Amino acid sequence: MWCIKTSEKEKLLTALKGAYDFRDVSSSDLPPKKLFFPEREITFTHLVKDGSVTTPPPPRKFVLYGLSLRDLEAITCLDEIMSAPEKDYYYFRRRRRALLIGVTGEAFDVPPGGDIIISSIDADTSKLLSVTEKGERAIKKHLPRLKKSKSPQAVPVKNDTMPDLRNLLMDAELLKVAVEWSWHGYKKLWEKLSRECLGCGICTYVCPLCHCFAAEDSVALSGDEAVRCRRWDACTLPVFARLGGGEDMHPGLRERYYNWFYHKFVRGYLEFGRSECVACGRCQRDCPARIDIEAVLLDIVSAYSKSAQRRRRYR
Amino acid sequence: MKNIYEPVTAEIVKVERQSKDVLLFRLRSKGGVPFGTPKRGMHFTPGQFMLAGVWGYGEAPFGIASDPYETEYIELVVRRVGDVTGAMHLLEKGDTMTLRGPYGNGYPLEFFKGSDVILITGGSGIPPIASLIRYIIHNRKDFGMVHLVYGAKTSAGLLMKREISKWKRKIDVTLTVDGPECDWKGKCGFVSDCLTDIKVNPANTVVAMCGPGPMVDSIEQLVNPMGISDRKIFISMERRMQCGVGRCQHCVTGRKYVCTDGPVFNLDEIDRNWD
Amino acid sequence: MTKRLTIAIYDFTDCEGCEVVLSTLKENLLALEDRFDIVNWRLAQDACKDGPYDVTIIEGTPVTGDEIALLKELREKSGAIVALGACASIAGIPGIMDKGEREKWYKKIYGPEYKPIGVDSLPLAAYVRVEHMIHGCPVNAGELVRTIEELASGKKPKYRDYSVCFDCKEAGNTCRLLNDKICFGPITQGGCKAVCISGGSPCYGCFGLREDANIDGLVRILRWASSPKEIRGHLKIFFNHIPEYKDAFESALKRGRTKRP
Repeated sequence: MWCIKTSEKEKLLTALKGAYDFRDVSSSDLPPKKLFFPEREITFTHLVKDGSVTTPPPPRKFVLYGLSLRDLEAITCLDEIMSAPEKDYYYFRRRRRALLIGVTGEAFDVPPGGDIIISSIDADTSKLLSVTEKGERAIKKHLPRLKKSKSPQAVPVKNDTMPDLRNLLMDAELLKVAVEWSWHGYKKLWEKLSRECLGCGICTYVCPLCHCFAAEDSVALSGDEAVRCRRWDACTLPVFARLGGGEDMHPGLRERYYNWFYHKFVRGYLEFGRSECVACGRCQRDCPARIDIEAVLLDIVSAYSKSAQRRRRYR
Repeated sequence: MKNIYEPVTAEIVKVERQSKDVLLFRLRSKGGVPFGTPKRGMHFTPGQFMLAGVWGYGEAPFGIASDPYETEYIELVVRRVGDVTGAMHLLEKGDTMTLRGPYGNGYPLEFFKGSDVILITGGSGIPPIASLIRYIIHNRKDFGMVHLVYGAKTSAGLLMKREISKWKRKIDVTLTVDGPECDWKGKCGFVSDCLTDIKVNPANTVVAMCGPGPMVDSIEQLVNPMGISDRKIFISMERRMQCGVGRCQHCVTGRKYVCTDGPVFNLDEIDRNWD
Repeated sequence: MTKRLTIAIYDFTDCEGCEVVLSTLKENLLALEDRFDIVNWRLAQDACKDGPYDVTIIEGTPVTGDEIALLKELREKSGAIVALGACASIAGIPGIMDKGEREKWYKKIYGPEYKPIGVDSLPLAAYVRVEHMIHGCPVNAGELVRTIEELASGKKPKYRDYSVCFDCKEAGNTCRLLNDKICFGPITQGGCKAVCISGGSPCYGCFGLREDANIDGLVRILRWASSPKEIRGHLKIFFNHIPEYKDAFESALKRGRTKRP
């Protein structure tokens, strides 16, 4: 850990900009996942004449700068998702080439992820923390004369994005049970949401953890080559769960929108022991129907708790 | 790092027409079964599936129809429904296809051992059941009574007839078509009608099933009267999928992924799914 | 898979902008000529062979009796009819005309002597079966190439199952609806790359309604900040010309205004 002045910070960033492709995502609408799992990417090119199959070359090493603590947490979580049961080739060949730099004014106990975290203490001072060896190496290489300092206290500023959801996420088990219960136990809610939700898919695109995709094959007009591409899909869209014969396993918005919650808070919890959500607030901020997702989850948990109390009374 | 999405190229060594819109493909790669080393002599577990594809047209899942002990090739049965299968239907002997897999769990063979087995399927649901039958015949003494009930809309829709007539020497077979046809000597009516004729000992019977949606939907009415526990009824489910490894989210069913947790589930598991 | 198909390209009443997109595909146009026999294309070549054609691509709205008769004749001669652009697929700009007002404007603009030849302005599908529609005003070059690629490789051409919102997020735009501006993106088929929204215009829905579009839900949101008159004004450009679309919007507008959350 180091304490650095703004001038030293600038020096580090200038050095990094020279050494890597530098992507500042601090003001990006889309989540950082797109740097590892882009909206569309070609996965294979097949040449008809010789039958060869190639994958496009991976990108140059790059710095991903300006990640918030929750984005760092999301990337840690997405790394895990993309590793099970086997590593996702396309995700990790980008991920391995990235140096993640978090930038925050928040206090934290345990770094949620990333390689380096820069926390601002005051106008001219920042705390520089290397989270991984990769981060440590990059700092030592580009700011070689920096002396380690004793742990300086960052000004504790709280992140006020979705504080209630943040609290709910602490008890992912309760969220899981409540969301699972709500399908039958709180039908009215899903009925209402299915009328409000436009099914546009924006919540899935802006979610730093949503990772479903569709594969698209095409044959070039020349007939010489075929390309396989994968692009983001969205479980709120109509064709998502349709079978070849036309039967739709999620026939309406009610099923589709519920599936989005179910994946994050039930199936995701069962798979990874945590909700697939970091309360970054993007889905709520960007929902054109202005569905207050935090309020929906609070509502579900509260309705579940009441119903559970009633059931206990019956016993 | 291995690219888990990269398929192998497999050569089509035989194409056999099964019906108007169904072809059987025999495939091999590098001189044999296009994947892995066998476990206990088997290259895959009956009920497992492959993602087969044609470059430029995509990939789709197909239950493996051939004998798991077969070392030379695997066989897939392909009904023409969309782009991928449409492109496959234009392929001939000597052409190539892409293959990934095998994926999924397959039928629980160890659990089946020592039991009577009822196999229920319809139309183009026969492939994984065919593979299971071949396994059973290979280990015939491990099983009690084995009865295949296979139905289709018309007799022309019954696939793998030649193989079935061979199996008749080792297992009981009931074939049925929905409506009467003049030259059809088998049964008429739905699969459910034929099940009532089979005498079972519910305590010692397992059911393996793979069928079209409506048949699976009515499974409870089909099998409940037989008194067999839901946990001994195993159904192979159909979903579309893009990845085969539990990531793309297309094949989800409740808590499970058809590609990695399935495609074979017991009825109790299926009943608990919200969707 | 490599059979050479014969293609004819026709146009009815329109601005020919979609044909311009087609004729400026550069290397893809060359590839197209290589793979297909373009046997009839008034705009771009002298050769004009009579049918039958494997595929007939039609741009524009049939508005005169002659155009409607030609359309029906082309149907007979064609294996498949593909509508090119919004005019052909959803009646596009010609469809804006108000039938009731027509007589008045004829008199005013062309004088009392004028004998009108326009019959109506409906999309191709109002008269004949259409196998596929390439949406857009004008069509998106990438989607046009994709559709031709699908035809050339023996696939059934597909519509985009996602909404304009995917393109719009990919383009990095801020959602118009969140700024209380009218936008039909969420109910419109994607593929356009959100060019209008990126350029500061609303999405008027030239790519047509997407599958399972929640029109009620969208109108509910639009009503928080816009009057029915404003919404109808935007609808008029593309969404008014197909009775099913129009009815769906009208019944949604009748529901009145809900409280903004």
